[in-house]
Amino acid sequence: MERSEILNKVKEILEPYVKNEEAFGNINEDTSILDDLQVNSARLVDIILAFEDEFDIEVDDEAADQVGTIGDAIELIHGQIN
Amino acid sequence: MNNELKVALVTGGGTGIGAACCRELAKAGYAVGIHYNSSSGPAEAVQAELENSFTIQADLSTREGADEICTALKERGNLEVLVNNAGMTMDAPLFSAKIDDFDKVVNTNMRGTWYLTKRLGRLMMRNKTGRVINISSVVGSTGNPTQSVYGMTKAAIDNFTRTAAMEFAPYNILVNSVAPGFIETKMTDVLSEDVQQHILGQIPLNRMGTPEEVASFVRFLATEGTYCTGTVFHVNGGMYGG
Repeated sequence: MERSEILNKVKEILEPYVKNEEAFGNINEDTSILDDLQVNSARLVDIILAFEDEFDIEVDDEAADQVGTIGDAIELIHGQIN
Repeated sequence: MNNELKVALVTGGGTGIGAACCRELAKAGYAVGIHYNSSSGPAEAVQAELENSFTIQADLSTREGADEICTALKERGNLEVLVNNAGMTMDAPLFSAKIDDFDKVVNTNMRGTWYLTKRLGRLMMRNKTGRVINISSVVGSTGNPTQSVYGMTKAAIDNFTRTAAMEFAPYNILVNSVAPGFIETKMTDVLSEDVQQHILGQIPLNRMGTPEEVASFVRFLATEGTYCTGTVFHVNGGMYGG
């Protein structure tokens, strides 16, 4: 799966949790999920679970802790499915 | 994985209150995971009694031990109930208590409970249902001479129950503590006659409880108790009411 395709699916998963619509509109691999998109940190677990379901992967706690930006999320998913 | 099976895990499930919990949860229809660390004989004896049950050996004081339990459970079915019962005590007056013993008790009673719940809670979050029942102790509320460390860990577990209940509530996971008083187990069997008489003097019902009396309450929280979460339930013959 290409990174662009992963990005689109990641955006779909994130959308319900995003509080900064403007940042979401300008999303790129450097966008911070917590700081820029203003996703509530308590919802990160839902996002990780959604990644696991969508991409049929398993994300351990350490890997989940490394996800700060959209690029981190894509890298994590890309690394597991390819 | 067998998705049909409702699985309950009881840590320290080979003996005492843990074994009684295994039997009660099996009666309620759960495939029971009987965790043990060193009591393989008793755990296997309980397993032989209970249909669909299985044993898991792991040292819960280590991260690897809890990770092994998670791996084993993923293959068994849907985890619906976690009973954090495993615990230890190394009693000594504060003056002579050893810091190495402190570490052992804290690692098993507190760290193990916290980490296992963190890991297995995620399985329950995925299923949007679950019950976590932490076995604490009346000593966590009242204190008890020679049990400074044990009492600290049990008080910590009760606080953990409250926070975990708040964090897990959106996922329909209910978290409660059951705090037994003095129960007829190996832990109390070794007490001298004088100490036992002193204890009975503090219990309005004038007897120690049985493991089954604690386990029946655990079963209630596992199978009913749908509006109970974040609460410490005292099962102690009236010696402390909270």
